[in-house]
Amino acid sequence: MLRFFGFRLLRAAITIVMVVSFAFVVLRLSGDPAQIIMGADAPPEAIAAFRRAWGLEEPLWLQYFHYFGAILSGDLGRSMRDGRDAIALVVERIPATLALTVPALLIKLGLGIPAGITAALHRNSFIDRAVMMLAVAGFTVPSFVLGLLLVLVFAVQLGWLPSGGQESWRHAILPIVTMGVGGAAVLARFTRSAMLEVLGQPYIRTASAKGVPWRAVVWGHALPNAAIPTVTIIGFMVGSLIAGAVVVESVFSWPGVGRLLVVAVANRDLAVVQCILLLVAATMVTANLVVDLLYGALDPRLRQRTA
Amino acid sequence: MLSRRSALAALAAPLAAPALPRLALAQDARPAITVAVQKIANSNTLDIARENSNVGTRHFACYTEPLVDTDWIGTLKPRPGLALRWDRVDERRVEVELRPGVRFHNGDEMTAEDVAASFGPERLFGGEAGIAARVPREVRAQGRAVFPGLSVEVLGRHRLRFVTGRPDPALDKRLGHRIGIVTSRRSLEEAESWLAWARRPVGTGPYRVAEFRPDNALILEAFDEYWGGRPPLRRIRFLEVPEVAARIAGLLSGEYDFACDVPPDQIAEIERNRGFEVQGGLIANHRFITFDKTHPQLEDPRIRRALSLSIDRAAIIEGLWAGRTEVPRGMQFPFYGGMYLEDWPQPRFDLAEARALVRAAGYKGETIPYRLLNNYYTAQTPTAQVLVEGWRAAGLNVQIQMRENWSQVLEAGPGRALRDWSSTVFIADPVSNMPGVWGRNGSHPATNEWRNEDAFAAVEALETEMDQGRRRAAMRRLLTILEEEDPAYAMLHQAANFTGKRRAIRWRAAQSFLMDFRPGNWDV
Repeated sequence: MLRFFGFRLLRAAITIVMVVSFAFVVLRLSGDPAQIIMGADAPPEAIAAFRRAWGLEEPLWLQYFHYFGAILSGDLGRSMRDGRDAIALVVERIPATLALTVPALLIKLGLGIPAGITAALHRNSFIDRAVMMLAVAGFTVPSFVLGLLLVLVFAVQLGWLPSGGQESWRHAILPIVTMGVGGAAVLARFTRSAMLEVLGQPYIRTASAKGVPWRAVVWGHALPNAAIPTVTIIGFMVGSLIAGAVVVESVFSWPGVGRLLVVAVANRDLAVVQCILLLVAATMVTANLVVDLLYGALDPRLRQRTA
Repeated sequence: MLSRRSALAALAAPLAAPALPRLALAQDARPAITVAVQKIANSNTLDIARENSNVGTRHFACYTEPLVDTDWIGTLKPRPGLALRWDRVDERRVEVELRPGVRFHNGDEMTAEDVAASFGPERLFGGEAGIAARVPREVRAQGRAVFPGLSVEVLGRHRLRFVTGRPDPALDKRLGHRIGIVTSRRSLEEAESWLAWARRPVGTGPYRVAEFRPDNALILEAFDEYWGGRPPLRRIRFLEVPEVAARIAGLLSGEYDFACDVPPDQIAEIERNRGFEVQGGLIANHRFITFDKTHPQLEDPRIRRALSLSIDRAAIIEGLWAGRTEVPRGMQFPFYGGMYLEDWPQPRFDLAEARALVRAAGYKGETIPYRLLNNYYTAQTPTAQVLVEGWRAAGLNVQIQMRENWSQVLEAGPGRALRDWSSTVFIADPVSNMPGVWGRNGSHPATNEWRNEDAFAAVEALETEMDQGRRRAAMRRLLTILEEEDPAYAMLHQAANFTGKRRAIRWRAAQSFLMDFRPGNWDV
């Protein structure tokens, strides 16, 4: 077990180093933060002063080593926009993002999995086709289109809900629904195909032939075996809780990590981007680890193989 | 340890917290409004000297004011504000008499000492010790660019003298520049850091900063001791709504009272609803295409003249701006008064002459790159498409190359030839922008795209010559070089800015990005 954890932690560390290095090179080669942050009209003298202040005149390799050295000593740097600690800037946005992504995840699970199971159990029926039609629609409509559509209907036409902002719990409804619907559609499609594959297995036929009630066959045999691909998808969804709302946060003017990421990338605010990437990588790695453990719990054969 | 209750509280906090201040303000009958903006501040600060942007211009005048006010809604001329009078003593000195009884948001009365600190090392120019040491370098550079060689002498409680190191014909006008705001000396001294001050500047404006959540919202509250009368609004909330569709949807649903940065193609859509209208129009900003004359295809001035002659500006204004802007007479504005050359011609559209120039220059159809940002400026991309077709008709092979940011656009190399630019003026004089763009240390010489010693001399004369006749001659000479002899740009049109609002609100838009919510410009 120790080896299992050790290997995954090493893999995670290498992944994070690669992500941080890649982001540094791409961001620094594709734009000068001084020019971008100071604005197009800033006097050349002000832009030069900004470069000096942030060490942007040093060779890129030297900037990289300074940056990496600081990270290793626990200093994730400061935002070039206002000089604040990047980590503080990111952490203060996390609750706002989680206020959207956690309820959205619950909607995805609560809608998507039952819909997928229902469709599979009524294969080729009207119910199956209706569920899949909705799932394909939910899956293919981009979230910014769905978001604006919901705003048009529920905010502009009906006036039931606010169109954006973060003033009250009512402001969270449309963004949560926007994210939840798309994710539920994905889960419904995966759950359905996993269930169909399992329902065609010989042990399901055997259990039915032995007279086990259908409900018990589904709950006791089909669902646990069909859960593995679904759990993988859920793992991805959990991993993207921190930065999975970039588009929706922009459409609904929700000041979370996603909005911060967009602004930071646009401004080449390296320290802030790196902080968010580190956080996302850590969340992904943790989610993957949990998924790996769940595989073992769901399928004893995998547990034995790992052992 | 994180309990279930504390986890739920943490999730619920961002939903509930912004609602709390409402309780305290419930007694005041004045309206509270929400203004949806694309961006509140690029720098996450509210010091306009650091922010230096159009988006920051929108709200800074609500809480801070320059010495000399500008009639942004009407004539665009200077008028008394915090300064009651400003008298030129000689070519290097202007004496200012302050308005007595003006209060800062912290309750202090404004005195000459506060003004001296606002135009001194403590706020603008920086220094080696004390609070001056913490002024960011870029703010110092900005201060030196707008107020070169300035020093301030306190003559009395309400009297000061502004002195420059060399003759400055525009010194009195510079006192109205947006970065010359007046803040409380005590607030500078008591702030725990420069950022703390810049996040909540203590000014004299009709509203004070109640809360600033960067990238999210700026909340201003009425400052009832404002020298210009009781502010008409209890609270103004500038809310960041990046998507234009979301801003318009919020306006139409009644959630926002104002939606800023409305593109011209959305004006008719908004005004189709009887309860709403779009205000605004021309602002003191020019949009133009600039030339990198070091590019092999642009070395010959005839090609640059041909590029300008083949622009159908009327089609751009009619098709993309709903006819709501116009073509200026060169890089100048009528509100310059005596410095405006009213006989300077508008740029012409003459394809035949453009073709003749292209032929005469021996152009063989080589590619001329045009680096383009995706709608950084209003209607930028469709404008570029119109331009390229016009240039094609003149026989010029211009190819658009999309770029993501300014540093990619400005990057030196063979791919840099044409690009977009705009220039805003903040005072009623050509020195507001000409030295910063075309002067020896201006933005275009700094990138080595365009240099011209005669133009530098003309700019120098504009900056230091005291005789208006000679200054006008210098301006004429400069425009002749910039547009005819050694073209540096092809003028497109004056920029315009549009704000959607409820029709019932009687409020007039300024000829600037600035939004004026002072007494006298609000009624319902």
